[in-house]
Amino acid sequence: MATTYAVVGKRVPRVDAVDKATGRSIYGSDIYLPGMLHCKILSSTQAHAKIKKIDFSKALAVPGVKSIITAADVPDIMYGTVGNIRDRSFMARDRVRFIGEPVAAVAAIDEDVAEYAVSLIEVEYEPLPAVFDVLEAMKEGAPLVHEKLQEYEGSTGLRKGNICSLLTATRGDMDAGLSEADFIVEGTYRSQPINQGYMEPMACAAEVEPSGRVTIWTTTQAPYAIRNTIAETLQLPMNRVKVIPLEIGGGFGAKLRVSFEAFCVILSQKTGRPVKMISSREENFTAIGPRLECVATIKTGVKKDGTITARQVHAVYDTGAYLGPGVGAGVGHSTGPYRVPNFKAESYAVYTNKIWAGSYRASGVADMVFAVESHMDEVAACIGMDPFDFRLKNILEEGDRSLTGEVIPTMGLREMGEAAKTGSNWNTRKQEDGWGIGVAFSDWKSGTGASTATVSLNEDGTVSVLTGTVDIAGSDTSLSQIVAETIGVPFEKVVMAKKDTDAAPFNGPTGGSRVIYSAGRTVLQAAQDAKEKVLRLAADVLEANQDDLEVVNERVQVKGSPDKGRSLAEIARLSSSSKYGSIMGQAALSQLPFAPIYNAVVVEIKVDKETGMIKVLNFTQSQDLGFAINPNSVEGQMEGGAVQAIGRALYENFIFDKGKPVNPSLTTYLLPLALDVPPMSTIMIESVSKEGAFGAKAVAEPPGFGAPAAIANALYNATGIRIRDLPLSPDKVRAALKAKQSGS
Amino acid sequence: MKKNFIILNVNEEERELYVYPHRSLLDTVRDELQLTGSKKGCDEGDCGACTMFLDGNPVTSCMVLAVDAAGRRITTIEGLSNGTKLSPVQQAFVEHGAVQCGFCIPGLIMSGTALLTRNPNPTEEEIRMAISGNICRCTGYTKVVEAIQAAAASYSR
Repeated sequence: MATTYAVVGKRVPRVDAVDKATGRSIYGSDIYLPGMLHCKILSSTQAHAKIKKIDFSKALAVPGVKSIITAADVPDIMYGTVGNIRDRSFMARDRVRFIGEPVAAVAAIDEDVAEYAVSLIEVEYEPLPAVFDVLEAMKEGAPLVHEKLQEYEGSTGLRKGNICSLLTATRGDMDAGLSEADFIVEGTYRSQPINQGYMEPMACAAEVEPSGRVTIWTTTQAPYAIRNTIAETLQLPMNRVKVIPLEIGGGFGAKLRVSFEAFCVILSQKTGRPVKMISSREENFTAIGPRLECVATIKTGVKKDGTITARQVHAVYDTGAYLGPGVGAGVGHSTGPYRVPNFKAESYAVYTNKIWAGSYRASGVADMVFAVESHMDEVAACIGMDPFDFRLKNILEEGDRSLTGEVIPTMGLREMGEAAKTGSNWNTRKQEDGWGIGVAFSDWKSGTGASTATVSLNEDGTVSVLTGTVDIAGSDTSLSQIVAETIGVPFEKVVMAKKDTDAAPFNGPTGGSRVIYSAGRTVLQAAQDAKEKVLRLAADVLEANQDDLEVVNERVQVKGSPDKGRSLAEIARLSSSSKYGSIMGQAALSQLPFAPIYNAVVVEIKVDKETGMIKVLNFTQSQDLGFAINPNSVEGQMEGGAVQAIGRALYENFIFDKGKPVNPSLTTYLLPLALDVPPMSTIMIESVSKEGAFGAKAVAEPPGFGAPAAIANALYNATGIRIRDLPLSPDKVRAALKAKQSGS
Repeated sequence: MKKNFIILNVNEEERELYVYPHRSLLDTVRDELQLTGSKKGCDEGDCGACTMFLDGNPVTSCMVLAVDAAGRRITTIEGLSNGTKLSPVQQAFVEHGAVQCGFCIPGLIMSGTALLTRNPNPTEEEIRMAISGNICRCTGYTKVVEAIQAAAASYSR
């Protein structure tokens, strides 16, 4: 970068860091309202059953119990995850479809009383045949999870048996591509159910005023999605539902939609008192959708020289009891960042009697990256080519078209790959027994969607910014940097206003690596608009041409005559009595051009052949991210994503036994600890985007993609064994090593 | 069930309370004293977000009964800073970008502080061991370890 900046690109401390380090930040569970009641949920014990009868008379008689609700108290309006069929309600109506599905909710004077009352509710079930395995569920004659699937409103597409979504894509001529190939390689890869593992359990509170206005405090990545879902399903006007987003104690996609807010609202409507719900850790496994497994079969045709000629993909996503996100990735991420001239993919979402599939770090993509990048190594092995060279030979170049037809702009994919190669020990391999190295590439497109911003100049020269986009990973800091740089004030002079859904119009969620690219450009434009208005007024005041003005050290002055000027504070004071009015810049944007980002991971491992245990020795990743607005935040995202992916590679596994969660706790669902983390090397490739603020593209999603495939590839490199289902746990590795030894 | 009368000494202030015998120290401090910096991530001693000091030693306060903490010296995250002046570990977490979502951070800062108090010159391995009872899902721990290393300088001085 030739340009030097005063604020962007700097490692400024996060604006929320002091409050968080002192314990003063307010999260969902930290809301205490006068007279508030506490809510607890009764969940289904059955994987699939008719609800014959719910008797809560004993529970209601407990002193301190104020109200109990069931589906009978919830308007019979179905909803869906964004863009999907409306197949669900807040509470099970007539039948339950998974163990953990909410059946009733209690409001009582404290949590103990509420919990005791829940234990006294009697539900009579009539069990129905259930199906748990996604491939079984696809078969003709499998028990139907939704008998009325055909009648549901919402997006159409294939609906057959338990199949509730099918996406397909083709390009070129598949048969011609395969016949052109010297070799055809095929493999089936299976990922495992994953809990998002955010540290803050879902927590919210709601208060309904006598006028009917509703206020909801909650931990959320998507305050407007919560407002809209609550308003639609509870039949309230949107302008009477205010969602106040609190600090988000980790989300990773899980906090993109309603959790328990509706219960608090209904119970508050019934009791006239505020109602708070803090969910247990167990409920965050059993009632909040995790990712479920994906089974992907990939067939690739390749020439001897390493040119890919064709690819066919068949992906099946387990979506649990209700349709969640992710199935699109089975098509959209089936080629990886490579040229594939002839291509055919189909991706299914299939119901089973397990908890619904939720969002987690680019839902569905990580599954495909494991499949595609494991497969790439198998293809490279087939033709005897170095896996890195094979990838670099086939990568996309500027001017190529993405699978969805966008022209690839200037980007740093090759540079990123080379940096990962030279920045790791790829070229200096150890000859130790059990040592291995593996690579995986991945791609993502910078997220778009609605963002709004207003930038106001205050009468003391400080700047206030309001956007409806919430901060989960440091974006308020980065957005402040963008505004400070644009207007020409020190970072400390910019403050992000507290947000709620009344204060700003609809903003998209904080997810899908959307905020820095999309909201970043929005605040940039709003700041430019504010600055333009500053200069317009200053031109009048200074009797100068607007084009001759510049902002230096918080003063507007005439270029070349620095003594002819006014401070920003003076301009702000003058503005309120000027013909233009107060200084306020604004911007509202939605779709932005295609800005792909790329990531490469290189992992060194050591396999203990006795125990099957894999130890990660070194972790190198490089990413093309455009421009790092705040390198601290970027590194933090890259390191954090990588460690989640290591957990997914080696031990994280949310296990079900006939639909019953086996390990719904942090004792038994293993998350990576500090001792599990290898030395991390993060390389930022700044291939600036024409579209993003100061060239920034997205960061967060891709660092979480590569590790499982890279480690599976390193395992193959170390031992010659190929494991195609996650996690790469010691029992599987040991069994595979034994099988190899005995020659089977 | 009857409530018990106890006196809790929290951050050098004595507080008189009536609490049920099954009530955890964490719930009591959060709900009765409104000191909400200590977080409940699991309520079963796994995540470490509720870490407090009991007579100077780090404990997961969700696993301690309030009645058992009576008469002992309790320090929460709110007790680490002196007015608006941050402790060295807090300051280092802020400066080194170790804070992301922040939910686990009070617990990590308590564990890091406990380590440096008894061992002002820890190795990286010792730091990782000392915080291995604190789960963080955002940071990947790298910057957390760097922050504790940086804070060690002001302890070993």
